[in-house]
Amino acid sequence: MKTRVPAGFAWVAPSIAVLLALSIYPLIFAVKVALTDASGAATFANFARLAHDRVFATAAVQTVLFTAAALAVEFALGLALALLVDSLARARSLFRAAILVPMLLPPVVAAVAWRLIYNPQFGVLNGTLRRMGLNTAALTWTDGDSSALLSVILVDVWEWTPFIFLLLSAGLQAIPQEPLEAARIDGASGWQSFRDITLPLLKPAIVLALLLRAMDLVRIFDQIFILTQGGPGTATETVSLYIYRTAFRFSNFGYAAAMSFVLLVATVMFSRSLMKAMKTR
Amino acid sequence: MGLELDRVTKRFGGREVVSRVSLTGEDGEFVVLLGPSGCGKTTLLRMIAGLEAPDEGAIRLGGADITAKDARDRDLAMVFQSYALYPHMTVARNIGYPLRVRKHNAAEIARRVEDVAARLGLRKLLENFPRQLSGGERQRVALARAIVRRPRAFLMDEPLSNLDARLRVEMRAELKHLQHELAVVTVYVTHDQAEAMTLAHRIAVMRDGKIQQYDTPSNVYHRPANTFVAGFVGSPAMNLIEQGNRTLGVRPEDVELASFEQPGYTPARVWVTEEMGNETVVVLSAGDRQITARAPSGFRADFDSPAWFRFRAGREHWFDSSGQRIADPA
Amino acid sequence: MKTTVRYFASIVAALAALAPVYWLITISLKREVDQFAYPPRWIAFHATLQHYAEAFGGGSFAIYFLNSVALAGMSTLAALLIGVPAAYGLARFEWPRRWDQRVGDWILSTRMLPPIVTIVPLFLMLRGVGLINTLAGLAIVYTGFNLPFVVWMMRGFFDEVPREMEEAAMLDGDSRAGALLRIVLPLVKPGLAATAVFCLVFAWNEFLFALILTQTEAAMTLPVGIASRVTQYEIQWGAMSAAGVVAMLPVLVFASAAQKYLVRGLSLGAVKG
Repeated sequence: MKTRVPAGFAWVAPSIAVLLALSIYPLIFAVKVALTDASGAATFANFARLAHDRVFATAAVQTVLFTAAALAVEFALGLALALLVDSLARARSLFRAAILVPMLLPPVVAAVAWRLIYNPQFGVLNGTLRRMGLNTAALTWTDGDSSALLSVILVDVWEWTPFIFLLLSAGLQAIPQEPLEAARIDGASGWQSFRDITLPLLKPAIVLALLLRAMDLVRIFDQIFILTQGGPGTATETVSLYIYRTAFRFSNFGYAAAMSFVLLVATVMFSRSLMKAMKTR
Repeated sequence: MGLELDRVTKRFGGREVVSRVSLTGEDGEFVVLLGPSGCGKTTLLRMIAGLEAPDEGAIRLGGADITAKDARDRDLAMVFQSYALYPHMTVARNIGYPLRVRKHNAAEIARRVEDVAARLGLRKLLENFPRQLSGGERQRVALARAIVRRPRAFLMDEPLSNLDARLRVEMRAELKHLQHELAVVTVYVTHDQAEAMTLAHRIAVMRDGKIQQYDTPSNVYHRPANTFVAGFVGSPAMNLIEQGNRTLGVRPEDVELASFEQPGYTPARVWVTEEMGNETVVVLSAGDRQITARAPSGFRADFDSPAWFRFRAGREHWFDSSGQRIADPA
Repeated sequence: MKTTVRYFASIVAALAALAPVYWLITISLKREVDQFAYPPRWIAFHATLQHYAEAFGGGSFAIYFLNSVALAGMSTLAALLIGVPAAYGLARFEWPRRWDQRVGDWILSTRMLPPIVTIVPLFLMLRGVGLINTLAGLAIVYTGFNLPFVVWMMRGFFDEVPREMEEAAMLDGDSRAGALLRIVLPLVKPGLAATAVFCLVFAWNEFLFALILTQTEAAMTLPVGIASRVTQYEIQWGAMSAAGVVAMLPVLVFASAAQKYLVRGLSLGAVKG
């Protein structure tokens, strides 16, 4: 089929070349690696193993739990904060700037700060609680089997609620004032105009924020690596950490590649919905 | 009863944008706030609506003081300049919203929405969204939403200014008829003096936050209280000629023209003529002044051709050095 | 809710956001004995700069810092040089059958790949050409990451400039590239700056790839350097927190410079912000 090469192609070509080399080719390469065993022969063994791997199943479950819990809390808090700050008459930008700080830090730095804070013996969290009279013996935060995941979720909530806050604040700003005034004159109470006017008009921003955040949560790595390294044991091991461990501790690149592929498929499904949501603006 | 404004004042950053405004609107009366941009008319309207709070003064509706009441408790209806329709709701839900908020039951809401929609020619559009409607249609939806409730007063903020010229004239007539049927006191803001003249029972001409004159259209036109009102109302504008420490005002239709010299007429030159179809507007230059006159539609004159004019007897307006009207010196 | 309650809640939220950061800063300024004192000392403590001197004066963190700076600069520059023309090409030229939309979408989708997915093959690829543990190798990878973002953001900015601008210039005799350089780019300068800031911040904060692709002292970046101090038995909190504070300062400065475009950048251009 004859197609005229568009005049703009020359401008775009270098980018396409770079992306092919650094994004697409690696994917193909990864599939190849996943389908190869230690001796170099072609095999489905890696994918087959995936189906029975309980560690992977645990990691997947933990990733989903982590994502769902963090997303729910971040959304509720982010929305509440956006509404709160939006309703202030003064110093709005000051509060906004303060609230945004956690999100702007290098994730490594945030994780380091919280590791400090979480230390059961010397950390300021237990220290302050003890000061207030609480017995902190059982509060092991990231060191405890049952509390580790929650502790890690808390850090993510602290770090990324500002993201949702920011996006929803922008969404709130974009809502035209006049329909809200009209609703007031029509007799709507504060709650009624929020439910009937603000919330529906905020929906696109909410959907966008949730999808973007969900995509990032599914592939979480940095904070957990610093905070717990996936531990204690595998209590906080998400899929990304398991892949990392498999590839770079056990040097099992094939299996790691297979897992990466599965993760990719899951993320592609997310991205599809995200693109669609962005188109409906 | 009706609406009463008592020395209402509003300041923004030290500047008085509305200065001790007092006026009353009787039940069923159509009151127009007329003035140039920045004169405070919209701010005043918003204070009546409850969207802004006055710094001084009181607002009463039906005898009761509503100054401290929130907008949602005032039982007023407002039509915004940009209509302020709820973009995510259909026309039907837009119109029905005031009723829904007051928890009327669904059947009642549907009936009244149908009713109002039929009255304003919106039956076919009930399931459409605002973005699918033309400007005129959106305006009628905004109106429908305002009247579905039978409020105690109507407030309108330049509702016709976003429509094209012809539609504007059509809607003007419809509005006037509608208001007459509903017989509720209405406060209407506009900068268009033709709208004010055709719609109002009484016009409040405003400038710099103060009311210059509050009177019937006829009185505002024929007995303007000062040079500002005289020059603002009426198109083409009244001729204002300074004579010593007084100003003489003569409306263009009171300027008599002749194409040849006559006793009692002053000579001048034709500066420009504008044929409107039903009449011709002639601008004369006499000395260092320009005089605008209205001539019958057949009037023809070349640029710079000589012409003679005089002012019709008894139609002169006199104003003192501060611009206030003074009785004829006769 | 009453006004006082709302302001109180906002203050609580702001404090909750800032407290951990503040604590980190105090740790970096406290003597070892004070760092874990009980009760915790929030304000009254003897301040010292020894940790900063230790971390940056002596050596390794200074190297990490410079590495991060060089890396951020190089990858941002490269991404801009390649990506801005691409964004312009997509925005301005006539594309048949909405190819510009499809190419744009494809470019954006590469941004959505989870890093872990490409890290195994990229590691193997770079090892193959001997670029492991080099800044150059990491710079190439970061350029690949920043490129889709640059194209997406800049395209949005170019779309906002009316075509008449270059058309007028070309009628006056300028070339297409010349018009871009002399007319359009100055107009999108703020957007360009914001995009550059996002790229710099990304490269500066990035951890996973740096962790895996640069493991030698000479090539480590600041985040990796900080993480490497978290050994199992002895954590040098002072040096680590000092490095952490230094790591976060540029980001905060840059973020406030680009704040107008923060929303647009974070939402991948979906929200004008």
